[in-house]
Amino acid sequence: MLSYILRRIVATLPVMAIVALFVFSLLYIAPGDPAVVIAGDQASPEDVERIRQSLGLDRPFLIQFGSWVWRILHGDLGTSIFTNLPVSTMIGQRVGPTLSLMIITLLLTIVIAVPLGVVAAWKAGSFVDRAIMAFAVFGFSLPVFVVGYVLAYVFALELEWLPVQGYTPLTQGFWPWLENLILPAIALGCVYIALIARITRATMLEVLQQDYIRTARAKGLGQGGILFVHALKNAAVPIVTVIGIGIALLIGGAVVTESVFAIPGLGRLTIDAILRRDYPVIQGIVLLFSFVYVLVNLMIDVIYTLVDPRIRY
Amino acid sequence: MDRRTVLKGLAGAGGLALSGGLAAPAIAQGTSARTLRFVPQANLANFDPIWGTQYVVRNAAALVWDTLYGIDAQLQPQRQMVESEETSDDGKTWTFKLRPGLKFHDGEPVLSKDVVASLSRWAARDPMGLMIIAIQQELTAVDDRTFKWVLKQPFPKMLYALAKNNAPCSFIMPERIAKTDPFKQITEYVGSGPMKFAKSEWVPGAKSVFEKFADYVPRQEKASWLAGGKQILVDRVEWLVMPDPATAAAALQNGEVDWWENPIADLVPVLRKNKNISVDIGDPLGNIGSFRMNHLFAPFNDVRARRAVLMALSQEDYMRAIVGDDDALWKSLPGFFTPDTPLYSEMGGEILKGKPDLDAAKKLLAESGYSGQPVTCLVAQDQPITKAQGDVTADLLKKLGMNVDFVATDWGTVGSRRAAKTPPGQGGWNMFHSWHAGADCITPAAYTAIRANGDKAWFGWPNSPNTEKEITSWFDAKNLEEEKAAIGRVNKAAIEDVVYAPTGFFLTYTAWRKNVSGITKGPLPFFWGVSKSA
Repeated sequence: MLSYILRRIVATLPVMAIVALFVFSLLYIAPGDPAVVIAGDQASPEDVERIRQSLGLDRPFLIQFGSWVWRILHGDLGTSIFTNLPVSTMIGQRVGPTLSLMIITLLLTIVIAVPLGVVAAWKAGSFVDRAIMAFAVFGFSLPVFVVGYVLAYVFALELEWLPVQGYTPLTQGFWPWLENLILPAIALGCVYIALIARITRATMLEVLQQDYIRTARAKGLGQGGILFVHALKNAAVPIVTVIGIGIALLIGGAVVTESVFAIPGLGRLTIDAILRRDYPVIQGIVLLFSFVYVLVNLMIDVIYTLVDPRIRY
Repeated sequence: MDRRTVLKGLAGAGGLALSGGLAAPAIAQGTSARTLRFVPQANLANFDPIWGTQYVVRNAAALVWDTLYGIDAQLQPQRQMVESEETSDDGKTWTFKLRPGLKFHDGEPVLSKDVVASLSRWAARDPMGLMIIAIQQELTAVDDRTFKWVLKQPFPKMLYALAKNNAPCSFIMPERIAKTDPFKQITEYVGSGPMKFAKSEWVPGAKSVFEKFADYVPRQEKASWLAGGKQILVDRVEWLVMPDPATAAAALQNGEVDWWENPIADLVPVLRKNKNISVDIGDPLGNIGSFRMNHLFAPFNDVRARRAVLMALSQEDYMRAIVGDDDALWKSLPGFFTPDTPLYSEMGGEILKGKPDLDAAKKLLAESGYSGQPVTCLVAQDQPITKAQGDVTADLLKKLGMNVDFVATDWGTVGSRRAAKTPPGQGGWNMFHSWHAGADCITPAAYTAIRANGDKAWFGWPNSPNTEKEITSWFDAKNLEEEKAAIGRVNKAAIEDVVYAPTGFFLTYTAWRKNVSGITKGPLPFFWGVSKSA
């Protein structure tokens, strides 16, 4: 197993290299110029050119790419064109809020979506099943920002139970940390809950047709035991796969959610960097997201062995 | 590796990240009467007010760095760090003396050498500064508190240049910092202004913190804009960036922030309904909407085509698209200068008065030789003001019978594409939209958009010798009457040659919680004199 994990980690290197080349090339050919944004609206073309030169943006593609790769190989993600802060520092400032949001969303999703899917499969064709699936379709259909605004209006402005915006680190207390994340996590989790609930239902329906389930029923096992111990465990592989794939959804959704709830996470950093053409920051974040995605896939492969002993690497 | 080991590892990694193993910003602080929480107009992405000339940087810099002179609410330069000044009889030598007791945030005294280095860096980036450099003989420190600027010819607008609030302002920094190349960013944020910048708490894109500078010595006069005694009445000012206006509105209503610099017009009715919130005009100098036509290429290289567009445009359409139905927020503008300011003029502005004459405009356009070629119109969709104006322009051009190539893009792309002097079909453009702060349009001093010196002019490269001649006559004017007359002639010439198209004058609101007092109207948010009760 350990050698498999090591091999997979080594295999991520060419993937990351391709991502790096792709991202750098894309930004190079994309329209827009950070020097223009820095110089301000009233700047002369000469000022813009001087700034471009001082940032090294007038150098040929290969030289810019070469020096960037060289820095990456030395563990240096570069310096933001705008803030003059190391990209690693900026990412470090933003990882906590995004990670917190994703973890709470993930927990919330699993706790809600998996039981819903199981119950829907158990009661397939009934009113309960239809109600759960209607809820799932509703969750799919609502954009994150709409859910966010509605939640903020009801629970923050009207009921005054939770704050509208912001983020408090866990070091300042569990409840202050959690109260800022509840609404964003629900908003972000809606689509995800719908997705996992539907997948769980579909997989469970298949498993519930198996002979061993009928045997379990014949042996007199309780419904809860059959559903959650025997059936769910055997349905877990596709569910885990979708949860993993869904992390990409969460990363994308975090961009919107963090804007709506003013959470200073990586999503907002990404948007700000793109709008300003802060190339080193964009490149750093995309590399990070790619790495996380590869890592999540690896974790899913490892989790397969935990839920299904037949799988060996 | 077994199941238990994997689960333990995952739990450990998650716990480390969330419990502070990774750096995390403290965004939500406890509410305190000593902390003012402010939502700025934009993100403070950099903090060098000479290198980056965005308004948000200027606004934050005014807290941290002081200036030699400050512009007051009557638009007059007043002494700020300077105790006295003398001008030689020939008007070529200016000698300034600093106030005693001025200190930087690192405890060092403010000396003439700091001023000389700061003015040199500023002058390299500022349009008025460049004019001074062009006639400069020497800028030297005479002693610790005295410095001298010797010119080859008189420059009557010297005090205005040192006081003006248009970016870049002539902020004074320690010599070691001010010696940084003006085209490179500074890395230390040490000033002598009334507040210190808490760099360790800076999360660009989210939060900036300013702390009261205990050793600041305010002037005795009452504060007025950038002039007078800058008394700070809170310990700490937090700037919280909120990219979504609806979130900012909700946060203000919920008491999570105290002051929102520029609420969008659509949300103002909601804020007004809240008994704990005050709403008023933020900046009385407002903004001037604009679109620029490319004078290098057809059809707008012919003044008749440009005049045809002016003749057909309805400023009301533009203003309603920007501010909605609130008539208190806009007025038509038959000219280029900020209304209700001393030099304002409507001379020559008849073409922009009254109802648009579409038939006459079509006739004039035909006379210009326009034959249906595409008109490339750049419209930034991520800026509500440019998007609104772009939609109106597209409609206007179609009514004129023009073939519109509507390029919907983002501001970053417009910003770089507008610099291209290639033909519109080869990466260039015919029109783009923008707006100018009214504070920049009071005089031609910092008004880049009004310049019409061809290749050296702002994007669109208008070439109007008459406009340039009258701008020069304003710089040479010796009194207010001469200045007024010159501005009238600038306005007339610029309209005749259609240097650019003004789409109207509009204002914006500012909103704050009622437990905050002392907020004054001005071209930037002034934090001196602002207090907060629990």
